[in-house]
Amino acid sequence: MDTTPYTPNNLSPHLTTFHSNNNQNHDTIDEVAALDNMHRSNHSHTSTSRSSDASETTEDANKWASRLLRECAKAISERDSTKTHHLLWMLNELASPYGDCDQKLASYFLQALFCKATESGERCYKTLSSVAEKNHSFDSMRKLILKFQEVSPWTTFGHVASNGAILEALEGEPKLHIIDISNTLCTQWPTLLEALATRNDETPHLKLTVLAFAGSVMKEVGQRMEKFARLMGVPFQFNVINGLSEITKEGLGIAEDEAVAVNCVGALRRVEVEERENLIRAFKSLSPKVVTVVEEEADFRGSGEDFLKCFEECLRFYTLYFEMLEESFAATSNERLMLERECSRSIVRVLACCGEEVEDGGECERRERGTQWCERLRNVFSPFGFSDDVVDDVKALLKRYQPGWSLVVSQGEDHVSGIYLTWKEEPVIWASAWKP
Amino acid sequence: MLRKMDEGEITHAFHQNLTASSAASNNNNPPHHVLKRKRNLPGNPDPEAEVIALSPKTLMATNRFLCETCGKGFQRDQNLQLHRRGHNLPWKLKQRTGKEAKKRVYVCPEKSCVHHDPSRALGDLTGIKKHFCRKHGEKKWKCEKCSKRYAVQSDWKAHSKTCGTREYKCDCGTIFSRRDSFITHRAFCDALAEETARVNAVSDMNTSLGGNIGYNVMGTSLGHNMATHFPSIFKPVSNTDETSNQTSRGLPLWMGQTSSQAQETMVNSNLREIHHQLGSATSSGTIYGGNSLVQCSNLPPSNNYQLSWVFGTKLSNTSQELTTSTTSLPLCNNNTSVPSLYSSQHQPHQTSSNMSATALLQKAAQIGATSSDPSWLGSLGLKCGNSQGQDGNNNKFSGMYGSSFVLSEADNSACDMSQMHPLKRRHILNEESGGGQTRDFLGVGVQNHLPTFINQRVDLI
Repeated sequence: MDTTPYTPNNLSPHLTTFHSNNNQNHDTIDEVAALDNMHRSNHSHTSTSRSSDASETTEDANKWASRLLRECAKAISERDSTKTHHLLWMLNELASPYGDCDQKLASYFLQALFCKATESGERCYKTLSSVAEKNHSFDSMRKLILKFQEVSPWTTFGHVASNGAILEALEGEPKLHIIDISNTLCTQWPTLLEALATRNDETPHLKLTVLAFAGSVMKEVGQRMEKFARLMGVPFQFNVINGLSEITKEGLGIAEDEAVAVNCVGALRRVEVEERENLIRAFKSLSPKVVTVVEEEADFRGSGEDFLKCFEECLRFYTLYFEMLEESFAATSNERLMLERECSRSIVRVLACCGEEVEDGGECERRERGTQWCERLRNVFSPFGFSDDVVDDVKALLKRYQPGWSLVVSQGEDHVSGIYLTWKEEPVIWASAWKP
Repeated sequence: MLRKMDEGEITHAFHQNLTASSAASNNNNPPHHVLKRKRNLPGNPDPEAEVIALSPKTLMATNRFLCETCGKGFQRDQNLQLHRRGHNLPWKLKQRTGKEAKKRVYVCPEKSCVHHDPSRALGDLTGIKKHFCRKHGEKKWKCEKCSKRYAVQSDWKAHSKTCGTREYKCDCGTIFSRRDSFITHRAFCDALAEETARVNAVSDMNTSLGGNIGYNVMGTSLGHNMATHFPSIFKPVSNTDETSNQTSRGLPLWMGQTSSQAQETMVNSNLREIHHQLGSATSSGTIYGGNSLVQCSNLPPSNNYQLSWVFGTKLSNTSQELTTSTTSLPLCNNNTSVPSLYSSQHQPHQTSSNMSATALLQKAAQIGATSSDPSWLGSLGLKCGNSQGQDGNNNKFSGMYGSSFVLSEADNSACDMSQMHPLKRRHILNEESGGGQTRDFLGVGVQNHLPTFINQRVDLI
């Protein structure tokens, strides 16, 4: 259970620092109050259905969270403490991490907005991180991610595309070395191992070096990988390196005769924005034959300068994500709850820790869109389009999931390369491959 | 002396005297024509046959014969003529002339192909067409579900019928309809980890064996566990069988198919009895065969025990002699094979651990598990067209282990297995040279159980 660092009672003292501005805000407050009245009957925290009162204003009813949250964010950015106070209080009344999508979004965003308003983002993030750390056992993580992959192609999309590109780029090489910086616990590799074992005539030797952000579960993951590789009959070696400081050939143990692939799934965004270019150049120094990059399609960079813009984007993305989770999982899924909780850290980090240096790193979580990553990558690498076969494989993968998922191949306009996974027409994941 | 043929010129083929030009064909070619009707191996044509070289265009062309009335295309003129009857058009079937009674063989137009040489021509027009398509053609047909590509439409159709109908069952009991999620699950499954934990010391063997099979056979209690789980290892779960609870079939394979309690207890008691006999501290020992066949895990890894064959693996890298004589199922084999099932070559490491018979089985299976002769699956009673009997059972266990593929269709399923277990580097130790006596290693006194089991569909689960 999240440790919520705030309660309704404590709101006011924290907000006294705000310069109050109460002229133009009465209308909004009234409107908000109207919404509030309408939803008072909606307090049930576990129901997923709307009350009958809401039927008249269905549009509003379905989107109350985003409206309230937006108003609140606006109030915060205008430093309107009264309004902020009021909205935060209301959100707190209505939000619940166990309710429907709106209630959940309200709950997690409320936390971030509160931290933003009270400038306690860092502390909150640290608390959330340490709680998460305690709860991240190998078993629970494994169960979580495998279940997620079963019901949604959110992660497997990138895996299939990347594996396809890697296999094609490293075809015929006898010794492969994959540098993996991903957040998917090596679930990408069993299918690659199987492909290596069955596709080629001569099974190559595979060395997998994982750069882990939090290495504790990676040890066990590595053991499983080794066992599985033995089962597949692929000569295999597994190494874990903590952190991203050692990205050199020597540091990663790259031998001269190895063909190198760098695989980044949900990884680049975890690096501070200023460091990203250096990281990409470091990849280049490894002389890889292929670099695969998979990222979530959202732009969270602008938190410092334009809070509202960043907030909108954050809200948009996580609304999609939560809706996707709701439709993919069963109603009472524990895994879904866990995945939603995982988001709380990112949301706090992006919205409430803007610009400040969070000591001890943590993870940046500032996503960029595919176009933006392309700009960075194009300075160092050249795009390597996914072959038709790989695209077909991805399409076949999507067919195995529920409808709503689709694939869009970028046509090269705007200098974007790569493919997008779309959920209900909205691009959510971007996958690309690059060569030197 | 081949002449390239254009469309419609098939009837003008040169007669090629193969004896003059080919070096590799049969020696017994008399200088004059003797019509031989014997069947040759594919790609080793009758030297007297007429060699025809068609252009790629001709080979790939389909339906060249068009009906002028409705435009329908036909592959052969004869078919078109018959069709024209329907339009009340004048039609004439060409007669077969004596000349055309000569056998024809076709060469592949692709120069680098082995079948380009007249001595390796293929005897069937449809055959050469398909060959050309498959090997040298563009793979235009793609499976919707798994995106596998085919050049020949009939291949694609055949695949599409079976694709996605297979189910994959992990040793932990979970069923998957999707292969990729099965593979990923497998890699992380606890069953895999458990298995390896038990045989950790064997790791030196494992590099060649790829040895860890996710058994779910765990635990120390002999009879029940083994009875419960063993079938699950062997029996692929078919789509229809899923409803039945795995644990309700408590019989080891060799006991036949009924899951009656009586038999189960009989097995169990046998096991326990045998276990007793061995009285090993490690509570392992073989489960089967209370006599000299029994090899206890306490025994040093004797070279006589060819564990590998049980599951058909070739332990090529082991120092043990891996003779081929005992590679088929223990069930249909002579005694020596049986003990090997339980005397793992990895034994010495096991003596200290609390090895149950089930664990031994696991190990044994694990060693063999990586080899994969898919056809064995068929012999195991999967819906496979193979006739049973001991020859049908050779070496094919291995593929079953650890993967528990559920194959609900016929022989082709066997081939699919090879996808999971790379076949290419594994040579299954070859079958016993027939005639293994059925061993009564359970002391059940039934000689026929084993082959019976083999011969029948295993419905243990």
